Amino acid sequence: MNSDERKKKRRKSRIKAAIKRNLFGWALMLIPLALFAFFVWVPMLRNFILSFQDNYFDQNFVGFANFQAIFADPAFLKALGNTFLYILFSLIIGYLVPVILGFLLSEVFHLSGLFRVLLYLPCMISGIAVVFLFSTMYGDSSTDLFNVIAKAFGGEAHPWKGAPNLIIPLIVLAMTWRGAGSTALIYLSSFQSVDDSMYEAARIDGASPWQRFRKITAPSLKATLITLFVLQIISVFQVFYEPLVIGPKGGPLNSSMSLLLLSYLYAFEDFEHGKSAATAIVLVLIIALFTLAYRLLLRVLNGETGNKKRKQK
Amino acid sequence: MSRDNRKKKIILPRFKDKRGGFLNFADYRKVSNRIGYGVMVAFLILFAFMAVFPIVFLFASSMKSVSEITSATYTFWPKEWDWGKIGRLWERFDFGRYYLNTFVYVIGAVICAVIFNSLLAYAVAIVKPFGYKVINALVFLGYMVPTILNIFPLLQEIRDFGFLNPDHQSYLIFIPLWLGFGANAYYYMLFRDYFSRLPKSLVEASSMDGANQLQIFFRVVLPLSKPIIGIVAIFAMTASYSDFLLPYCLLQASELQTVVVGIYNISNINPPLQLPDFLLLIMLSIIPQIIIFLVFQRQIMNVGAGKGSKE
Repeated sequence: MNSDERKKKRRKSRIKAAIKRNLFGWALMLIPLALFAFFVWVPMLRNFILSFQDNYFDQNFVGFANFQAIFADPAFLKALGNTFLYILFSLIIGYLVPVILGFLLSEVFHLSGLFRVLLYLPCMISGIAVVFLFSTMYGDSSTDLFNVIAKAFGGEAHPWKGAPNLIIPLIVLAMTWRGAGSTALIYLSSFQSVDDSMYEAARIDGASPWQRFRKITAPSLKATLITLFVLQIISVFQVFYEPLVIGPKGGPLNSSMSLLLLSYLYAFEDFEHGKSAATAIVLVLIIALFTLAYRLLLRVLNGETGNKKRKQK
Repeated sequence: MSRDNRKKKIILPRFKDKRGGFLNFADYRKVSNRIGYGVMVAFLILFAFMAVFPIVFLFASSMKSVSEITSATYTFWPKEWDWGKIGRLWERFDFGRYYLNTFVYVIGAVICAVIFNSLLAYAVAIVKPFGYKVINALVFLGYMVPTILNIFPLLQEIRDFGFLNPDHQSYLIFIPLWLGFGANAYYYMLFRDYFSRLPKSLVEASSMDGANQLQIFFRVVLPLSKPIIGIVAIFAMTASYSDFLLPYCLLQASELQTVVVGIYNISNINPPLQLPDFLLLIMLSIIPQIIIFLVFQRQIMNVGAGKGSKE
């Protein structure tokens, strides 16, 4: 009897504690959740609904008319194609540079601190300042930096950012200049996390540096390489300031237009909120697709290594 | 300069001191590997040059006169240094006010970023109330979707709150900008990962001692979280300094604009500013960022490197 009561009491106090914990947890989350709702979730939901409406203020439902309209708009199709050009060039120009930088930073031991500071410096500069700076260098007049350099090497003056087929590589160059340093530090830490004793063992076995690189360094880098590959692609979808300023506004002839910039211009210049929202939805779908593919890829890779480990055991 | 050289010579590391890494002292006994090292150093110098060159170019060009920047014969450095130009432009655009507004923005953004994201992360990672997994998934959704994408509905929402009265804007307009940093999925995830790695025994022990959850947060968790608070503060500081689109849309009164917004608006004035003068304004806009970097370089770069190891 006595012990039963005690049990009941204990259970009661446990339930009380659980309720208290829950209430406390939700009380803590209340303000942050309100902020997330206000700044992230409600605008997202509103944009989703808006993509099926004619505009923000009238709110008449028009079905898929906005999606039909954007897929009939040459500017949108151009932006969609450009997205893949951005990805392509960012992989050609920007993907390997940080890997090389990370390796050099991990191996060169003279003035390593100074090199690190110098390479990281561009990352600190605001995106807007970077695009104005590069926009100046890419100018078409013969006194602008790229033409001065071209002339010094015996070339001719070129329109650079005025040339539709050059604008995307030039924008990617500016992005790489700004971003390479911070990505290089990520690679630096993964180069440094390779176990020295593995190198030592390989050295004793007489493996050449190239063999060491292929058998030890490269495999330990794989996870970082894949992660940053996907992060880079996702970050390329968010190209915005560069075509806005260097283009300018996605120019010349929409050849640097990105989906994000187009969505912004639809809403703020053409006042076609529905088309803006529909463009946003398309972009979200593409990003979601890539994120999903990334997760699947990771799962497959992790599964593989997991199996190997099990087999070895 | 010469004193620097002497200093370098004294601390110049030798090959035999390189113990770890891909190539070590044993490899460097071979001449071919030493040549390879020389090539690596040369490449690193080249990359470092490319990283710094645009900034030096910006500085040199911004000090040129208009006639010099458009002259047919190109010289990298200006022939005449017109230092007075800085003061004239500063006064013309009242640049100090831009700095002050940016300062106000950065301080509020850092405070909001640290407080609200850490509260949510603490609730999800340690208190774990009913439904915390759903919350976590919803926040991750916000991480995937860039904020710029939904900027139009967001602006309308803010407008509905009455902050956007264009006739008499006051510093109240900074409130939505600050609070926006309180809803940052990336900062939240940094806090959450850090909190969930704290030793559980510590939290359990203090709850045995009768401390309530709020006491645990302030007496146990927060003092242990100084590193992650520093990281998020630095991130929020650099992000809010460079933040453009939302401030650009909200800060319509020129007395309230931040440096970055001011620069963008000045680029559109009519008649346009002379190129060297505009470049000088850009130079002024990045100087605080360079100073912040030089002061906090170790912390900032550690953060940069830590980002990857988290994966």
